[in-house]
Amino acid sequence: MNNSRAKNLWLLIIPALLFLAAAVCAQGYITKVEDSGFEKHTRPAVSFAHDAHNEAAGIESCNTCHHMYEDGKLQDQASIGMECSSCHLDGYSGRLELIRVYHLQCKSCHLDQKAGPVQCAQCHRKEE
Amino acid sequence: MHEIYQLASGILVWVALIVFVGGTAGRLIRMAITARKKDAVIYQYFSFYYALRSILHWIIPFGSMSMRARPAMTLVAFIFHICLIITPIFLAAHVILIAESWGIGWAYLPNAVADIMTILVILGCLFFLLRRIVQRDVRYLSTPGDFVLLLVVAAPFVTGIWTYHQWSGFEIAGIVHMLSGELMLICLPFTRLFHMALFPFTRGYAGSEAGGVRRARDW
Ligand code: HEC
Ligand code: HEC
Ligand code: HEC
Ligand code: HEC
Ligand code: HEM
Repeated sequence: MNNSRAKNLWLLIIPALLFLAAAVCAQGYITKVEDSGFEKHTRPAVSFAHDAHNEAAGIESCNTCHHMYEDGKLQDQASIGMECSSCHLDGYSGRLELIRVYHLQCKSCHLDQKAGPVQCAQCHRKEE
Repeated sequence: MHEIYQLASGILVWVALIVFVGGTAGRLIRMAITARKKDAVIYQYFSFYYALRSILHWIIPFGSMSMRARPAMTLVAFIFHICLIITPIFLAAHVILIAESWGIGWAYLPNAVADIMTILVILGCLFFLLRRIVQRDVRYLSTPGDFVLLLVVAAPFVTGIWTYHQWSGFEIAGIVHMLSGELMLICLPFTRLFHMALFPFTRGYAGSEAGGVRRARDW
């Protein structure tokens, strides 16, 4: 095997592995939803212990939340690593639209399952 | 808790809105029919010019003589009514909930401004309450219903600011807030609160009569 070619391959694989590891670790460390699409915050940040939440709620597939659409159809693959705002922030009513989809996704599942917070103050909890 | 929340933020909102809109329309139509039967000439001398002239003088602070005669009452009443109507329509939380349910939205107030306006409404309610207790002539004319009505108006504002600031018991306060807001909307067409919807008509009537028939001012 050509030596320099193998080196080039490693140059690709190592960063890719690092990225994957970082991604997998990062989700474990998420304790709050802080989308960079909100330039300023008007409410206390929402506590969201990513892995613990999804385990307790028994959510199996990542694309329940990190979804991906093509021609209006939900895809099997997920949009991991992308913030919701990267797809849901456009137009002049962008901010309200981004709030709307966050609330719709989080709250409608909580209402369906009759578990989890549904009132403003339950999610946007002030620090004690 | 989820069941009550779903009820209060779902079907009861519809019930409240339908009673409010239907009741208001129904009473206004009945009033128009009664006027045609009992005082048909109003339809002849009704004048948009004189009606608007009167309405304008009565919605501008101190635009009428009786307002200038009672400056304290006028000031409180104006601030109270403006905050009462503007706050719920342009409150961030309300706009966000409407966007979630119906996909429409509009500009909303900063939270701090909404807080101040809410406090002004609550202070206004206290002022009217004290007036009913302290001022002899007003106390004499007050019925228990007047006090209940004041409570119905104050309740959504007290519980709204309570749940917003997450004071203890805020979850119950949030539920009570939604229910009391709906109660207030339902009460609007059938109680003295209806004077808000009547205002343009009573002023329009008085203004047309004063301007067109008596050639006088009514402010
Ligand atoms: C209940 C909904 C939900 C589910 C299910 C979910 N996530 Fe997330 N995830 C979120 C939210 C919300 C964020 C924070 C988004 C943000 O900050 O933009 C996030 C963030 C992340 C991030 C960090 C992204 C970044 O920009 O820092 C990673 C990585 C991630 N999720 C991976 C996963 C994986 C892998 C799965 C499946 C095992 C998964 N998620 C399932 C809601 C979910
Ligand atoms: C890769 C782009 C992409 C990302 C990232 C993404 N979405 Fe979406 N989302 C879409 C598209 C496209 C639709 C519209 C699907 C359709 O045609 O109905 C959609 C629809 C939705 C809807 C339904 C909207 C409605 O009006 O019914 C909600 C709610 C939603 N997304 C929430 C989220 C949340 C919360 C996140 C972050 C965890 C997120 N989305 C991340 C692309 C994305
Ligand atoms: C597919 C369903 C689903 C979605 C989507 C979902 N949740 Fe949940 N969530 C649950 C369930 C179920 C529970 C209750 C878990 C339990 O029994 O502890 C819960 C509980 C919670 C709790 C309370 C957990 C605790 O530690 O007390 C928070 C906070 C929460 N969710 C936030 C969110 C946020 C923020 C989002 C949107 C980014 C979201 N959830 C999206 C199903 C969901
Ligand atoms: C199920 C949890 C949940 C509930 C209930 C909820 N929110 Fe949110 N909200 C979120 C999440 C998650 C975000 C995204 C936060 C971020 O990225 O910083 C958000 C974002 C927002 C934002 C934009 C960010 C900011 O700080 O300005 C506002 C405003 C907001 N919510 C207001 C409300 C109001 C008002 C209510 C009640 C009507 C409410 N929320 C109920 C989860 C919730
Ligand atoms: C129709 C049903 C109603 C629902 C579902 C509803 C819902 C809400 C919610 C969720 C909040 C926010 C709490 C927060 O920000 O954390 C709120 C606040 C508030 N609401 Fe309502 N509301 C309703 C009717 C009304 C009515 C009729 C009024 C007044 C006429 C009113 C006045 C207020 C006020 C004053 C606040 C608090 C403002 C502040 O201090 O920030 N609401 N409401």
